[in-house]
Amino acid sequence: MRTRFPRMAVLALSLSISSMASAADKVVFQLDWLPGGDKAPVYVGIQQGYFQAEDLDVSIASGRGSTDAVTKMATGQSDVGTADIGALMAAKAQDDVPVSAVYAFFTQAPHAFFTLADSDIESIKDVPGKKVATSPFTSSNAFLPLVLEENGMPADAVTLTKTDPGALGPMLMTGNTDAIIAWVTNTALFTEQAKSAGKEIRVLPWSDAGLELYSSSLLAADKFIKERPDVAKRFVRAYAKAVAFTADKPKQAGEDIHTMVPEVDPIVAANQITDTMKLVKNSISDTDGMGVFTKARVAQTWTYVAKANGLETSALDPESIINRSLMPE
Amino acid sequence: MNQKLSDNRLQRELFKFAPGLFFVGLVVLWEAVCRLAALPAFVLPSPTAIVNAFFDVEFSRWMEHLWATLSVALMGFGLSIAISIPLAIAMMRSELLQRTLYPLLVVIQSTPVVAVAPLIIVLMGSDDPSRVLITCLLTFFPLVVSTATGIQETPDELIELSRSLDAPLRRETWQIRIPYAIPHIFSGLKVAITLAIIGAVVAEFVAAEKGLGYFIQFSTSFFKIPQAFAGLIFLAAISLLLFKSVQWTQQIFFGWSLPKK
Repeated sequence: MRTRFPRMAVLALSLSISSMASAADKVVFQLDWLPGGDKAPVYVGIQQGYFQAEDLDVSIASGRGSTDAVTKMATGQSDVGTADIGALMAAKAQDDVPVSAVYAFFTQAPHAFFTLADSDIESIKDVPGKKVATSPFTSSNAFLPLVLEENGMPADAVTLTKTDPGALGPMLMTGNTDAIIAWVTNTALFTEQAKSAGKEIRVLPWSDAGLELYSSSLLAADKFIKERPDVAKRFVRAYAKAVAFTADKPKQAGEDIHTMVPEVDPIVAANQITDTMKLVKNSISDTDGMGVFTKARVAQTWTYVAKANGLETSALDPESIINRSLMPE
Repeated sequence: MNQKLSDNRLQRELFKFAPGLFFVGLVVLWEAVCRLAALPAFVLPSPTAIVNAFFDVEFSRWMEHLWATLSVALMGFGLSIAISIPLAIAMMRSELLQRTLYPLLVVIQSTPVVAVAPLIIVLMGSDDPSRVLITCLLTFFPLVVSTATGIQETPDELIELSRSLDAPLRRETWQIRIPYAIPHIFSGLKVAITLAIIGAVVAEFVAAEKGLGYFIQFSTSFFKIPQAFAGLIFLAAISLLLFKSVQWTQQIFFGWSLPKK
């Protein structure tokens, strides 16, 4: 009897320690939109075991736009996620939103004009006077006047129609508009749609027309970074590996998304990934390193964002939203 | 004489099958227009393309999405009944409550749920409780109004009779006012059940990982228009089935409240 209690206590203690050791740290990842090829790395991280290797249990929540994603991180519904750094900058300039950017994902602007291959719009300089359709809430709309001005055109050089995102492709294919504004990550989808109408498309990325900025980035809630710095660091390390894998093996990455979200077609996703990765792995990331935010480009991004949102550049020190402490060594 | 009889019979048969024939005719016309005009699926998918898209999705996935929408719609509907009917009874009993609450209810009903939904998600999180609340917000008003109208329409002489016999308020409510309100309550329930599906879909458009509304939004984002149509038609069929279920419930349990033919 004398020895029984300590034995039981030791057993209970060892059981609780082993259960503590085996319980992976839970992390909620916030997407800024629905699952798709452009959101591949987090799915790859789960399927390829990068998060598991860091003892992380990652769950994914879909979002409805960058502002929605930033809000969910700020209110503690999610720990970390991807969203447009421009949305975070605009939010920070107006309110002290407790979210920081920790890893650069798109180092090029994803915005582009899409036209039909037989259109007389061959470069961005050909758009004045043309009918252009865009969706009402895309961040591209704010950058449109800037890219036009950058190319020596007035901000109102095009006749803009705002419509549902799902109607943009059909409007272009049926000739109801001369061009549409969309993200280059959707090139494969528009190409497929054009093919079904016996047509081809031409893409005119705004990054080729002088719009040099960071876009979709890995953001994290300040609370998450402050209260669980080790978990945050392990997460970013695993995420960086997943990004590299996605860039190298888009087909497998497409399969990984399909495994978790059966509605996503693996081939379409792989094509989306190929389009998306041009924004991730490019001359900027080659020079600066994957995921790196440089001071100069952050400042330049803020200049564009401030102008696009009608904010004073003095309203925010753009460096204050960047947290480089989680960057993998 | 025989000719006349068979003509009458033919007319009766035609009348009986008219809705079905009209529907089939419409689908055939739709298919013909799509084929003859060679419309691409992203402009208007043909019925056969929609059927193919429906079978391209695994049955278990459909059931998963269906259950997500149905559970939220039914929970929202149930919560709505639990709130609306006692609230309507309380408002009819107390003029003070009626004067205080009615304007507030009108304000809540006039506020577009689509605008409030993102705020609810931020406040309550993106799980089922917030989706149920969004559904409830959309469905409770017609129920309150129809129940209150029904209670108000109880004949005064019956109320006077019950009071002259010293019947307690509880009996007056349960045995006189509520039975008179039943036809009105069911009218409200029929409106509310279709709104419940709309409410669940609105909530899924704002935040969800599953559900038919999410599925439609997802399909549209991948430009899979026939698949989105398949989801839409499935949703409409479920909505119709729920509406019919309310009708059957009234027929089975409250047949006396239906108008006599």
